[in-house]
Amino acid sequence: MDPRTTSRRTFLGLAAGVPLAAGLAACGSSGPSSSGGASGAAKSGSASYWFLNGPPGEAVRTATVERFNKANPSTPIKATTFQNDAYKTKIKTAIGSGQAPTIIWGWGGGGLRSYVKAGQVDDLTDWFAQNTAVKDRLFPSSFGAATIDGKIYAMPAETVQPIVLFYNQKKFEEIGAEPPKSWGEIMSLVPRFNAKGIAPFALAGASRWTNMMWLEFLFDRTGGPEVFEAVFNGEKDAWSNPVAISALTKAQDLVKAKGFIKGFSSITADSNADQALLYTGKTAMMLHGSWSYGIQLAAAKKFVTSGELCYMNFPPVEGGKGDPSDTVGNPGQYLSISSKATPEQKDIAKKFFSTAVLSDAENKEWVATGGVPIVTGTESLLAASPDANFLKFIYDTSSKAKVFAQSWDQALSPTAAEALLDNISKLFTLSINPQQFATNMNAVIGT
Amino acid sequence: MADTLTPESTEPRVGRTRPPRRRSGVVKGRRNWLGGGLAWVWLLIVITPIYWIVITSFKSQDIYFLSNPFVPATHPTLDNYRMVIEADFIRYFFNSAVVAVGTVVPAVLISFMAAFAIVRGGNGWVLRFTNSLFLLGLAIPLQATIIPVYLIIIRLHLYDTLLALILPSIAFAIPLSVLILANFIRDVPKELFESMRLDGASEWGTLWRLAFPLTRPALVTVSIYNALAVWNGFLLPLILTQSPEQRTLPLALWSFQGQYSVNVPAVLASVVLTTVPILLLYVVGRRQLLSGLTAGFGK
Amino acid sequence: MTTLVPPATSRAHAAGRGHRQRSLAWLALPALLFFIAFGVVPLVGVLVLSFTQWDGIGAIHPAGFDSWHTVLTDPGLLHALWVTFLIMALSWLVQTPMSILIGVFLAGNQRYRAVLAVFWFIPLLLSSAAIAITYKALLDPNFGLGAGLKIGFLTQDWLGQPKLAVGVVVFVVSWQFIPFHSLIYQGGVQQIPISLYEAAQLDGAGRIRQFFSITLPQLKYTIITSSTLMVIGSLTSFDLIFILTAGGPADATRVLALDMYKRGFQANLMGPASAIAVILVLIGLALALLLQRLGGRDANASQMEGA
Repeated sequence: MDPRTTSRRTFLGLAAGVPLAAGLAACGSSGPSSSGGASGAAKSGSASYWFLNGPPGEAVRTATVERFNKANPSTPIKATTFQNDAYKTKIKTAIGSGQAPTIIWGWGGGGLRSYVKAGQVDDLTDWFAQNTAVKDRLFPSSFGAATIDGKIYAMPAETVQPIVLFYNQKKFEEIGAEPPKSWGEIMSLVPRFNAKGIAPFALAGASRWTNMMWLEFLFDRTGGPEVFEAVFNGEKDAWSNPVAISALTKAQDLVKAKGFIKGFSSITADSNADQALLYTGKTAMMLHGSWSYGIQLAAAKKFVTSGELCYMNFPPVEGGKGDPSDTVGNPGQYLSISSKATPEQKDIAKKFFSTAVLSDAENKEWVATGGVPIVTGTESLLAASPDANFLKFIYDTSSKAKVFAQSWDQALSPTAAEALLDNISKLFTLSINPQQFATNMNAVIGT
Repeated sequence: MADTLTPESTEPRVGRTRPPRRRSGVVKGRRNWLGGGLAWVWLLIVITPIYWIVITSFKSQDIYFLSNPFVPATHPTLDNYRMVIEADFIRYFFNSAVVAVGTVVPAVLISFMAAFAIVRGGNGWVLRFTNSLFLLGLAIPLQATIIPVYLIIIRLHLYDTLLALILPSIAFAIPLSVLILANFIRDVPKELFESMRLDGASEWGTLWRLAFPLTRPALVTVSIYNALAVWNGFLLPLILTQSPEQRTLPLALWSFQGQYSVNVPAVLASVVLTTVPILLLYVVGRRQLLSGLTAGFGK
Repeated sequence: MTTLVPPATSRAHAAGRGHRQRSLAWLALPALLFFIAFGVVPLVGVLVLSFTQWDGIGAIHPAGFDSWHTVLTDPGLLHALWVTFLIMALSWLVQTPMSILIGVFLAGNQRYRAVLAVFWFIPLLLSSAAIAITYKALLDPNFGLGAGLKIGFLTQDWLGQPKLAVGVVVFVVSWQFIPFHSLIYQGGVQQIPISLYEAAQLDGAGRIRQFFSITLPQLKYTIITSSTLMVIGSLTSFDLIFILTAGGPADATRVLALDMYKRGFQANLMGPASAIAVILVLIGLALALLLQRLGGRDANASQMEGA
């Protein structure tokens, strides 16, 4: 057997397959969803809705769908749930092959922008103009992440989730200190906690987006929201802004000063190990999303209800330009309508948006999970909850923030976001310095 | 040894006139202290994570971080197991079993046939082309081809069925299986084939009555390897199925992965429930497995 | 029944070989068809995709060699190749000796052999996801193995330090697959006739000498089989590393398969991801040919030639 002859023949044989496969691939992208008879994505006539499973949101979302279906028995919505990471893969392949569900659950921002660029989601600006009642009851800040090039492409929904600085009051009492009111105070608290064997900050470094929260605040507090906005708007070399470099350096300073728990780069957030560090008393503080409150409540009720768990907005940086009321996080979740759905399905979806999403019943359920729905006028509902203090804090922080910036990894395009998270991981493991970070990230600006 | 023709150097592969014994390769009479000691060390390394999995599956999520990971729960709970079974575990298990058997049996059979053809079929271009094609297909990464596979499945109107999982899995199992089986078939002495032919057997008969039994070790190895790959695969089920009725076990772990966090004890209960039946299968079938793996060419 | 076939007869058979080929080729047909439908066609699709620019969501844009250029000039590719081969080599170096030793042990007649065999087999039954979740929890510096057993040495930053992370990945992969390979070696060892060992013992060879002079050479083809499975397996293995480290820390465990997935499904760069996929396939082909060559075989030769 002569390997060379065989390989040549093999390639000739394969070459014949090229047109066939190219044909398949080409047909796939313009994916007629008329082949949807095979896909479970939509039975003709009924709309479909895919969303995340698991606590805290699955029960609430499912209840909302059930309420809608009861009120509209002839046009039910078929819901399917997926795990977080699996959903991200699944929704992309579905959209890319024309098999998207009618209602697409998402995070807005860069991901939504990629759907818009591909013409896969409908423009809802006019619909909102006609349905001002729906629009006006939602937080105005929640529309930022739903707006691409001046047009609204998604319905904001669910809860607002700013990033909060949680801390353990008892640990502060142990060293006789007050919660930090500035970056300088944070840095001076670090050696004091370490001396007592208490790690200053819990951090799940392996999850990367957890590190990102630090950078988001440092950038904003040091230089205001303009610093990141320059990146987002695609300005050349935006990362090399001296303010950005200074913020990056501060982050590394904290790492070098042993501000984070030993071995933080091995800890992942999804098992809640970082939050466990706070409620088991191993660390004093933790920067995390507001959803952590519900998780800690479920895992360590006494820690939360006894008042040991406290929370505050990220303190200002001395000499920084950022407004201390600014916050970052998830301004909401976003529901889009697939442009490939039939007109009937789109109508069902719009009816769902106007009658079922963020109804009073749903809002009550969100509050019970420890979240603040992005609806104005819920103060009394929040005050009636057993978690009234926390909920009021979240409500005030979100509604009074001068700027509520969306998490960077959601705001940027998926391509840039991936590069961002990789470089953040390297920054926090001290594998690269701020200048290298800036160079690497400048290369993906605008992608 | 009645085998007069085979020189000493090639004896081991052929002509072991003793019936297969389970003991060989170790000289009797001297205890192997070093080996024995290392064996227990390895056992410790294997058992520790498994012990952790089992005891954690009996802890509830709220005490998961508060307790020492190696101390069993003071108040063990069956809640996690209850949750797993309520989350449709039995259906997922059944689906996984169907997909595994539905993949491995056809894949191994047709790979065996192909391997036989490649080894015994002479030098024609068809078989050489097939052989090269399979070599090329050894390292096809599933993550890359998943999108074209997905498109094909949709065209065939097979989306969201178990068949959608079985067909590509068979295809992916073929190259490696053919490689291993072909290597093994090559070791079957040509004389045996000749004598079958002289006895008037057709190639088809030779295939099943001679090659199949003699290739058992490789068939067993390949079957286990493919079964495990299919059993644990999660990318294909993720992309090619959707409704809960068609989900397989790897996706069952999902049910306990919330939006922000994983219910680790529940996930581990699911793992235990998945593993125990197969373990029992192994304990019961071990003898068969081993005799399969050690079949030789003894005449 | 064991008469040597004289050369004259094999010449006569040459004429029959063409006939034999035609009648046997159809045996390979089912496998060929399946593989072409679900293996080759998608593979060609991937090849085509590597010449495009696609984000997985919108339309596919032909892009000539752009994606290839991006991939081949990216230092990340070399890094991913290096990491892949490093982990592959280390896994082989750890797994093969251990599997051989365990296989030999299981083939023997130690008292607790059967019980040990059952326990040793369990890792193989766990899914990669389960194993990854388990080890992530066990290696947590604050709530894992080290903290629980109060062994300071074990509370390292296992998954946070690049070198340690690579070691952890190799260890976990080995933990998962040594049972499988030791099963193969056990089968291989049990095929070695006792007579060889008895003869060697009569000649005064000790246990170690017997191992190196008899066991290992007799296991040559078993080693090739097992190594092929190991090497190809580690090339395409993805689930475990994805869940355990997601390629981190700082890309220390970013093997090629993971690199490809991240580019394609997370960064939405299907063009470059497809290019990497093609590279993976070619590497797999090269390794398979290399292993065949090492086995000293060519197409239809057999260990029995010359008999």
